[in-house]
Amino acid sequence: MNNIAALSRRSFLALGAATLLAACGDGTAGPGAVGGTGGTLKWGWALTTSWDPVTSSAGWDVHVLSLVYAGLTKLDQQGNAVPALASGWKYNADGTEVTFTLRPGLTFSDGSPLDAAAVKKSLERGRDLPKSLVAAQLVNVKEVVAPDGGTVVIRLGVADFQIPNLLAGKTGMIVNPAAHADPGALALKPAGAGPFTLTSYTQNAKAVLVKNPSYWDAANIKLQNFEAYPLPEAATVVAALQSGQYDVAQIPGSQVEAAKAAGLQVQVIPSLVVAVLDVNITKKPFDDPKVAEALHYAVDRAALLKTASFGHGEVAYQPFPKGYAGYDQALDGIYAYNPDKAKALLAESSYKGAPVDVVITTSAAAGVPEQLQSQLQAAGFRPTIEVIPQAQATQLVYVQHSKALFVDQFAGRDSAVQAFQVLFGKEGLMNPGRVQPPELAEALAKVSSTPLDDPKYPTVLQAATAVAVRSMPNVFLYTVPRILARRPNVSAIPEFTVVQRFEGVTVS
Amino acid sequence: MRRLALAGLLLVAVLAVAGGLLAPHDPLHQDPDLALHAPTWAHPFGTDYLGRDVLSRLVAGTGATVVAAIESVGVGLLLGVAPGLASLWLGRGVEWVLLRAVDALMTLPFIVFAVAVTGILGNGLTQAMLAIGVLFAPLFFRVTRAAGLALTRAQYVEAAELFGASRARVLRTHVWGKVLPTVAVTAAQATGGALLAVSSLTFLGIGVQPPAPTWGGVLASDLGFLAQQPWAPIIPAALIALTVAALNTLADDRGALRAAR
Amino acid sequence: MTALLQRPPAPARARPAPPGRARRRRHGWLGAVATPVVVFLFSSLLTFSLGALSPSNPAAAVLGETATPADIARMNHEFGLDRPFLVQYADWLGGALTGDLGRSYFTTIPVADSIFAALPVDLALAGLAILLAVLLGGAAGIAAALRRGSRLDRAVTVVASALGTLPPFAIGIGLVVVFSVLLKLLPAGGYIGPQHGLLPWLRFAILPALALSLDIAASIARQLRTSLVAQLGENYVTGAVVRGLGARRVLFGHALRNAVGPALTVLGVAVPTVLGGAVVTEKIFNLPGLAQLALQASAQHDVPLIQGTLLVAVTVVLLCNTLVNLALSRVTPQGRRP
Repeated sequence: MNNIAALSRRSFLALGAATLLAACGDGTAGPGAVGGTGGTLKWGWALTTSWDPVTSSAGWDVHVLSLVYAGLTKLDQQGNAVPALASGWKYNADGTEVTFTLRPGLTFSDGSPLDAAAVKKSLERGRDLPKSLVAAQLVNVKEVVAPDGGTVVIRLGVADFQIPNLLAGKTGMIVNPAAHADPGALALKPAGAGPFTLTSYTQNAKAVLVKNPSYWDAANIKLQNFEAYPLPEAATVVAALQSGQYDVAQIPGSQVEAAKAAGLQVQVIPSLVVAVLDVNITKKPFDDPKVAEALHYAVDRAALLKTASFGHGEVAYQPFPKGYAGYDQALDGIYAYNPDKAKALLAESSYKGAPVDVVITTSAAAGVPEQLQSQLQAAGFRPTIEVIPQAQATQLVYVQHSKALFVDQFAGRDSAVQAFQVLFGKEGLMNPGRVQPPELAEALAKVSSTPLDDPKYPTVLQAATAVAVRSMPNVFLYTVPRILARRPNVSAIPEFTVVQRFEGVTVS
Repeated sequence: MRRLALAGLLLVAVLAVAGGLLAPHDPLHQDPDLALHAPTWAHPFGTDYLGRDVLSRLVAGTGATVVAAIESVGVGLLLGVAPGLASLWLGRGVEWVLLRAVDALMTLPFIVFAVAVTGILGNGLTQAMLAIGVLFAPLFFRVTRAAGLALTRAQYVEAAELFGASRARVLRTHVWGKVLPTVAVTAAQATGGALLAVSSLTFLGIGVQPPAPTWGGVLASDLGFLAQQPWAPIIPAALIALTVAALNTLADDRGALRAAR
Repeated sequence: MTALLQRPPAPARARPAPPGRARRRRHGWLGAVATPVVVFLFSSLLTFSLGALSPSNPAAAVLGETATPADIARMNHEFGLDRPFLVQYADWLGGALTGDLGRSYFTTIPVADSIFAALPVDLALAGLAILLAVLLGGAAGIAAALRRGSRLDRAVTVVASALGTLPPFAIGIGLVVVFSVLLKLLPAGGYIGPQHGLLPWLRFAILPALALSLDIAASIARQLRTSLVAQLGENYVTGAVVRGLGARRVLFGHALRNAVGPALTVLGVAVPTVLGGAVVTEKIFNLPGLAQLALQASAQHDVPLIQGTLLVAVTVVLLCNTLVNLALSRVTPQGRRP
């Protein structure tokens, strides 16, 4: 449920997909890249809805926010939690308590000390602030204790070994307690301990940042200055890169060839984002299980992928991309395109082969929803498209559950359990039917209570994926990679699956 | 020039009424393998990003486009003409209120207002055209009022009033016949403006809902694929520009004014 | 495009000023100040009612995923949405007059802060656009009138008509293609303020300003040509020429002065035109202006931000109209008549 309101309609429909590393760019990205220091990077992507991580409302915000905020942990390129502000952590045996050890001498960018008390206040604020949009992820946090300046103990309601992953995202960004008093000011001026400090900000236009010398990992930040701009129009993005308006920009799949032809470097970075249909099985016509099943086979994912991103990405039958711990190989092709089977299932349903009326709800009809309409029609549905503004989608789809079928994107989550909760949990946003089979609940409980370093963890997680994909109505469509085009004077961008960071990047 | 313009508008009118029947292909038929194809004999204007025939979409989209434009002009007429006349005959109080209301509407920038209205009332062509129509009202108000004003001073109207003709009768028999041609010419001009407004709004992603074809919609979607088909937007843009030019020619043409009388 | 929509009736069809206007003049300064105030009240009421019509519940939209009915009620109370309409309006207008337009539902950023960060972009751009329009339109109009019937005259007429028929974004994208992609002379988008130097600012501002100005330039050229041709045929011009006054002096001292009225009226509606056209232009050139803010607010149903941008746009237009009216009454001889 990433909020794409900030992106233009056409840029959105063209947002790419794929893991075709070899085909695109040089793929040699990595934090190990060495280069000179200094330089200014101009980044065209999206600005944040708010500089307060607790009230920021868009999924994309995490990327910009991570320029100015740091968390106890961060995710490496494979999506594993690794130390950040904390030098390490330790769980108790039953997974209900985790103890983080802070690095010594940490400070916020204003120079005030970043100690255990500050971490405690920041996490409690995220959990307790009435306007908090991360509170739901912290309900399991019963208590945060700071026994001494360098130790933070988090006590949980039920066992959850995924807290270090969870805290690597927006949820765990540490906000300077000095700024807690005035959330309005915080929305415009961040107060964190991230790799950069914001020096000037024009809403919707430009954020100017300068390197934060007191950042714990400042040695790996080679850029002296950073400027972030909103996403350019698809029609002019290549020209904007060529003319030097940006050094790096996210581009839609339709612009990849043009960007390469213009001498730009293109990186197609696999991400956890996956396109999905949210299906409400308490609404007609999907209250009939045969119809819900037919939908899985009525969708030609490869054709949708081609429209969405000119084929950059992969068709998907599950929420996790290839290479991720939860990815279950056996699910590949499980609902391969088969309009005849879909028709047969509809014939077996209570509709007995009569055209099944279905409303496809979307926030932008052009592209994939149009094509979906045509595909469903061919499979025996009688589909119509209904367009609702993105801002209302939250209310209508996630809160009121009043839509039967919504064309959505799942932005992925730092923690797999969190991802499952959003997609399939009883209170999950993207589970509008609010139904969860007991076998899935069981599989999920098992995931939460398995330590991530347990050798059994991948098997347990994959088992849960398999149960979910077979028992839940969500229709996964294709992965949505992050396609970045950059000028030749910029070194390769490290390929993080979740939060894009810029360690080791240089501009010459 | 005038004949050419009339012929063009006639063609547009025919397409608007018969649109779907004249389209060589089904404007909604998708063929992903043919997506973004250059012009061929079968598809003289090429295909769009879903492999649909662009010529058919433009032909079939004429109706919705023209209806939307006329819709907004209709709203403008409705809200502009009657108050325009009312301001002349219903006394100073009414006149003062109406004039200030019109002044207020004239301070609203067209597209900003339309964007705001769709933001609040929902993103649909009807809402957008309603907004544009409301902003057309001052145009019709002023034109009607100006034409009517000259008449209130005309001796034959004064004479009719002196002879005890009712206001409604004066309006009907004398004024209406004189005001109508001016209003018609303004409406032609406004229709052209409405066409451009619709195309601007669809460019911004407001109003037209795919897959329904419209001129502005075809143009807006072409702009997303300039890298593949840089020539494609020229066709719908030319179609819009020529139609607007034809309407303007007619509106500027004094002969047309006389003919309308 | 919008210039076309708001183009005043052609001079040939111009009617005497409505009596309302004449009365206002008699009231003098009081009227000149009172009328815009009344109009402002009308516009602000319209703007505010628009927000009240909104079918979406802002509290639910903001709270989104975690909303409960109790949360929504609490948030509605926090936004003050549980009060009577007129109380809300009076409160909002009172706040607006003191520079407080409320806070965005979504970001909690004060609306006034967002708007006053964006407004200078529009003002600088609109200024440049109108300057360009006056220069281009004025030169073309005068040249066409002086060489009436020549090839140049016809060319001006054709180009001016054609510009009015093109979808506005077609002009913007055309300029990007020519100047940024093909000629690589100017950046395709982005913006820096004039406070960073006039030349750097011009590099970014000239294309969008040009895109905004062409439409108005066309209107000015047409109006000026028509009225200048009419003036040049007047007896006093012939008389002046007979008395041996220089052609330049006749043109600038007399004819132009008398002919400039209708063109100035075009300028009066140019401000709403520029602000309206700015939505599309800002989108194409990625400019951080008011229109971009309105578009974003509209996509998010951020009612306070929508109301705020609209109110500020209206205020700017109203101020400019008042200024143009004052200018009109000083420059043209007709205007100076009591």
